[in-house]
Amino acid sequence: MEKSIENIWKEGFLKSDALVAPKINNLYSQKSIHIIDKFKRMFKINLIAIVAFSFIFLVVSYFVGVPLMGAIFFVTLMVLVIINKRLLNGLDRIDKGENSYQYLKAFNQWIKKQVAVNKRISTFMYPIIFMSIIIGFWFKDAEGIPLGKRLVNEVLFGFPDTYLLFGIPLIGIVILVLIIGLLAFFGGKIYQWDLNIIYGRVFRKLEELMADIESLNA
Amino acid sequence: MSSDFYNISILPFSGIIIKLCRAYTNSQEDFEDYYQEVCLQIWRSKDNFREKSEWSTWVYRISLNVCLTLLKKKKNNSQHFVSDTLPSDGSEYNNAFTDESLNLLYDAIRKLSEIDRAIIMLYLEEKSYQEIGDIIGTNTNNIGVRVARIKIRLKKILDGKIN
Repeated sequence: MEKSIENIWKEGFLKSDALVAPKINNLYSQKSIHIIDKFKRMFKINLIAIVAFSFIFLVVSYFVGVPLMGAIFFVTLMVLVIINKRLLNGLDRIDKGENSYQYLKAFNQWIKKQVAVNKRISTFMYPIIFMSIIIGFWFKDAEGIPLGKRLVNEVLFGFPDTYLLFGIPLIGIVILVLIIGLLAFFGGKIYQWDLNIIYGRVFRKLEELMADIESLNA
Repeated sequence: MSSDFYNISILPFSGIIIKLCRAYTNSQEDFEDYYQEVCLQIWRSKDNFREKSEWSTWVYRISLNVCLTLLKKKKNNSQHFVSDTLPSDGSEYNNAFTDESLNLLYDAIRKLSEIDRAIIMLYLEEKSYQEIGDIIGTNTNNIGVRVARIKIRLKKILDGKIN
């Protein structure tokens, strides 16, 4: 007579070889393959890299003569680091001993929160970084006068009819505003696109798992 | 992790972990990686155990949750959830047990969705629908229906009627 799956299960595991635990060596020193640990590692590496870069950039900008640019960069990136460090702490609060639905939900909520926060930051960050470059070079010393002022003088020399607003050519302001608008519009999208390339499948899988559990509640 | 913790708190329950990890992997190498990772995560989470449930149930929860969200590196270095890496025929894993029927049953279980795998494993471990609902995090009303559907699907897979 054909065996039921219950009998196959019971009888199969009665055999002595069925449940031999594999040897575990140097467990703690091995690199974890768990997604939460992976996120933590990725986050920590990113944050350390940002802190190191912003310090180096601050020093270099001082010697290159654009300290304002370095200072704005530094403050902006430090805010980014502090916000993301707080987000990272949230990962530690996810309890793997919860039921699967709560666990997946907590992890999904963390991902959504970090994506939403970083998308919002990107909307501001790219324009701020762009403006810091403009401001940095505008006030860079060029033989006694700021580089921006000198540039305006040269433009006025070539095009005397140029309309100025707050001492800056209107066309320049329009171009600047356009670029800032584009950076603000695409900043969040660039972040989302970047994240989807790396973790898109993981995010989709999480949603699928949760939807499957939710279907049991329907 | 101390060997005491492993010997006292994990090894007696290793059967649960082994059975689950086998269902979510398709090669001996992956199985050993997953087993180690589950042990590591049990050890890391041990302070969160509140004794609301039995230790074995808690180990089951951790093992299942970890298996559902593990990342493995494929040879091409891209990262996926384990289910994305399973070949459709589970062919790499045919000889995990000496019992051929058990091997075939596991191959069939690996063809189910992740949640269906969890449900049928819990059912085969003789957990009540209430316990299955508690571990998965769903109400128990539909568990019985789902178990019946999974068993029909498993039977069809074992009979070669579907892949």
